Amino acid sequence: MPATTDPAITLEGVGKEFALRRGAAVRALDGLDLEVGHGEFVALLGPSGCGKSTVLRLVAGLDEPTTGTVRVEGAAPAELVRTHRLGVAFQEHALLPWASARANVALPFRVAGRPVDHARVTELLELVGLTGFADARPRQLSGGMRQRVAIARALALEPDVLLLDEPFGALDAVTRRRMNLELARIWAEQRITTLLVTHDVAEAVLLADRVVVMSGRPGRVRHIAHVDIPRPRDTAVTREAGFHELVDQLTGLLDEPAPVGAAG
Amino acid sequence: MTALPAVRPRSGPLLAATGLVLLAGAVELVGRLGLAGPGWPPLLRVLGYVGTPSAQALLGRALAATGGAALIGFLAGAVVALAVAVLGAVVPALDPGLGRLAAVVNAIPLIALGPLLITTAGRDATPTLVAALATAFAVFVAATSAMAAASAAQRDVFAVLGAGRATTLLRLQLPAGLPLVVDGLMLAAPAAVLGAVIGEWFGARRGLGVLLVSAMQNVQVELLWAAGLASSALALGGYLVLLGVRRIVGRRFT
Repeated sequence: MPATTDPAITLEGVGKEFALRRGAAVRALDGLDLEVGHGEFVALLGPSGCGKSTVLRLVAGLDEPTTGTVRVEGAAPAELVRTHRLGVAFQEHALLPWASARANVALPFRVAGRPVDHARVTELLELVGLTGFADARPRQLSGGMRQRVAIARALALEPDVLLLDEPFGALDAVTRRRMNLELARIWAEQRITTLLVTHDVAEAVLLADRVVVMSGRPGRVRHIAHVDIPRPRDTAVTREAGFHELVDQLTGLLDEPAPVGAAG
Repeated sequence: MTALPAVRPRSGPLLAATGLVLLAGAVELVGRLGLAGPGWPPLLRVLGYVGTPSAQALLGRALAATGGAALIGFLAGAVVALAVAVLGAVVPALDPGLGRLAAVVNAIPLIALGPLLITTAGRDATPTLVAALATAFAVFVAATSAMAAASAAQRDVFAVLGAGRATTLLRLQLPAGLPLVVDGLMLAAPAAVLGAVIGEWFGARRGLGVLLVSAMQNVQVELLWAAGLASSALALGGYLVLLGVRRIVGRRFT
């Protein structure tokens, strides 16, 4: 990790418009400012369609902002992508169905043209609790197991920045909560700069150091909450009063219509 | 070779065999009763003719010639079509143009191309070339959609991991598209046989197409039907081989 005080991820005055038919455009983001520090876990919380996934795609270099700048580790996202220093996991696991769990976790090495570090792959499979399933193909795994493989894959090259877009969004509530706790444990061991996009308030509070609540259409930062729950966080945390207070407060913010001109 | 539709759609070797027997029985009956005139002999008489040594030698040579032309044409057409589809995927600017070119080439009837090929490529190469043309379009269409078979999320993962175009092609697009490519090959196999037979009509030295034309002109009804059955068997054989490949690929790549 670079020894600078600059944030790991910086979004400054970011706006994003998507062209519709007949020259019309929809403004997904408008004047969005956001910073994520080194080794910080930030959750981007908002209702569906508020542009939070767009923020993640901008940071991943999958889309270009219409206005403003996006910097990751002091450079354009494309630079980080080019040097294979970005890890990503989406709601759709996007595993390769013809490859075993082990081969899927090893994929980033192959894509980067590096020799596969088999010890690292084994260690990651162990980290996500899939040691016995290394040779299983994705269709032989449960939904939760597939997402764990996807997260192990995202961690394979020890990325500088980890981007998670609703990684457990397709799972049932029970599996989802268990995966949240798993991710909290995994993250506590790795401490990688992480940006998580979610609409699940409890998930955001359980995992993040800071929760950024967005309002939609166009997407802006509405509120930032610091989560002061000590790590490692486990099931006991979810039963504490402080946890529920914060969850309730943030849920309230999601429900209310945004006040005019609200930001930060 | 499918059975009559049952109340509940079912499939299986038994039903397929039943359908085949019913069809053969109907063909035999029409021939026996002379319902379709002298041009439709009973099936057993055709099979009896096929059993004679002279017919076997004749059909064997023709089958080898047509099979060879169809196979070489199939392989050449498939390789060219795959190469063009991959080129379109690697150089996206070329993609729409290649698609239109393939559509235009396909719009030219093979019947119209035959005489042209005889005069330019020669009578020996024509069956192979027509088979290749017939194959290429089916494989090209399948391969073009195969290149887009990977999901958006899979492409995004490759993009974020910093995969180059060649890596994405080799590690994502080709394996993800393989089942679709094999689907195209499955459709193309009978088309290659048809192409080879058509190519032979225009004056090849040997082959099932030659037998079909000469048997028709000389009113050799049994030979005509035998050559027709041999062509069908060839096309069906190719299809069944690729069906087996499709099953294996389907298990391995999805």
